[in-house]
Amino acid sequence: MRRALLAGLVFAACFVALAFLALPIVAIFTHVSPGRLAAQLANPVVTDALVVSLKTTLVAQALILTVGTPAAYVLASRRFRGRSALVTLVELPLVLPPAVAGIGLLAAFGRFGLLHTGIPFTQTAVTLAVAFVASPLYMRQAIAAFEEVDPNLVAASRTLGAGPVKTFFRVVLPLARGGLAAGEALAFARGLGEFGATIMFAGSLRGVTQTLPLAVYAEFDVNFDVALAVSALLVLVSAALLLTIKLVLQWQPSRRTSRSRFALSTSS
Amino acid sequence: MRTVTLLAVCALALAAATTAAARTSATITVYAAASLTDVFPQIDATPKYSFGGSNTLAAQIQLGAPADVFASANTTLPQQLFQKGLCSQPVVFTRNTLVLIVPTSNPAGIHSVYDLTKSGIKLDVAAPAVPVGSYTRQILKNMALTSVLSNVVSNETDVREVLAKVALGEADAGFVYSTDAKTVPGKVTVLTMPAWAQPKVQYGICVVKTSSNAAAAQAFVNAVMSKAGQAKLLAAGFLPRVKPKPAK
Repeated sequence: MRRALLAGLVFAACFVALAFLALPIVAIFTHVSPGRLAAQLANPVVTDALVVSLKTTLVAQALILTVGTPAAYVLASRRFRGRSALVTLVELPLVLPPAVAGIGLLAAFGRFGLLHTGIPFTQTAVTLAVAFVASPLYMRQAIAAFEEVDPNLVAASRTLGAGPVKTFFRVVLPLARGGLAAGEALAFARGLGEFGATIMFAGSLRGVTQTLPLAVYAEFDVNFDVALAVSALLVLVSAALLLTIKLVLQWQPSRRTSRSRFALSTSS
Repeated sequence: MRTVTLLAVCALALAAATTAAARTSATITVYAAASLTDVFPQIDATPKYSFGGSNTLAAQIQLGAPADVFASANTTLPQQLFQKGLCSQPVVFTRNTLVLIVPTSNPAGIHSVYDLTKSGIKLDVAAPAVPVGSYTRQILKNMALTSVLSNVVSNETDVREVLAKVALGEADAGFVYSTDAKTVPGKVTVLTMPAWAQPKVQYGICVVKTSSNAAAAQAFVNAVMSKAGQAKLLAAGFLPRVKPKPAK
């Protein structure tokens, strides 16, 4: 009897949690008819914001990948004093409130900031804000993925005559690619949703710095339908990215070169 | 048995939480235009305040936000709420003037509103839906200067965002109320705009219909309209709610 009650409570809790998480998302799609929602996507405010968002997010992701990958590899493969402090530093923007990130970017890159640049209010500012808040998600995952690569495989590659660059591209990168792709997808999604740092550091100007999330905020009291439509679009894109991550993590070809098969004979 | 006790405790906690929430509603919540951020708590420090762009606040009230009083930087928004039966008939409680501000360091060398036509200037304004953003466009239209809007670098969500970005020196110039400029002395230089070009900046206040404490809400409105309340507004640089008749 008591067990049945307990089981009932657990199921009730499960139902409440799921309903609570799903309700706002369902509401976005049911508040107005799908036809009207889709029609709003042709609104120039939406298309302008989409272009700004895509442009800035793609540039930011390119920066994150090209700079973040080698940086993550160094942090993952080298052991040195202060390494964990550096890793913590990389993770810090992840837990910082976006408004703090915005203030920090202004204090660093503002006209009267540390570097005295004219970046605020430009599309570059949006890109920097996105890169600042999104890169830790990629870096963290990349460090973990590189750490999982068996150092003996790297050593074997080197003893067989491959240089460090060739080893990195032919051995390390293929082995870590599942984790890297998952991290990149997460960073992409976070970048696309960036709001707080952007509005403080880059402002909001249609066609220049107004990204999709900023358009949601700007249209909230002007045209609620447009705000809903943009929100629906962001929900769909985010869901697609999340699904991609799940699929990528399931398909992990690198697992076939299992650690134990090689590691046992050498390291133990 | 123990589960039942647990459930009872949960129910009690929930009941306690709701009554606590009900009790706190004795203090009213005032939704007010960002430009009133400094002066309203001087008139009455007891209410809970939510300051922001009047348009955002009005939209929140329409979506059921728990406001008791709505004080807007224009009369259109409270009037719209009144027509929808969401608030009482608004009354004008103060007026304001628009000014152009530049950072004290004046990096772009702006000495008059006509300097805004120079290309490459970073002009910060509020979005058109925000009252001050609408007034900004009106004054520029009155002066046949709408072309300077091509120098706009950002459409902010309320007047204090414009103030902050100019005071910080990130924007070269911005349009705010004269009362906002007074709150950051030494950080911005005020360039007054000609009286003939000024739009009619009237602030409207109303009691929200869904208020659970309409009496206290009305008392707040009365306090704002009272001699003491008006004196506080005047001291902060706001204008008397009724334009004085020109002396003959």
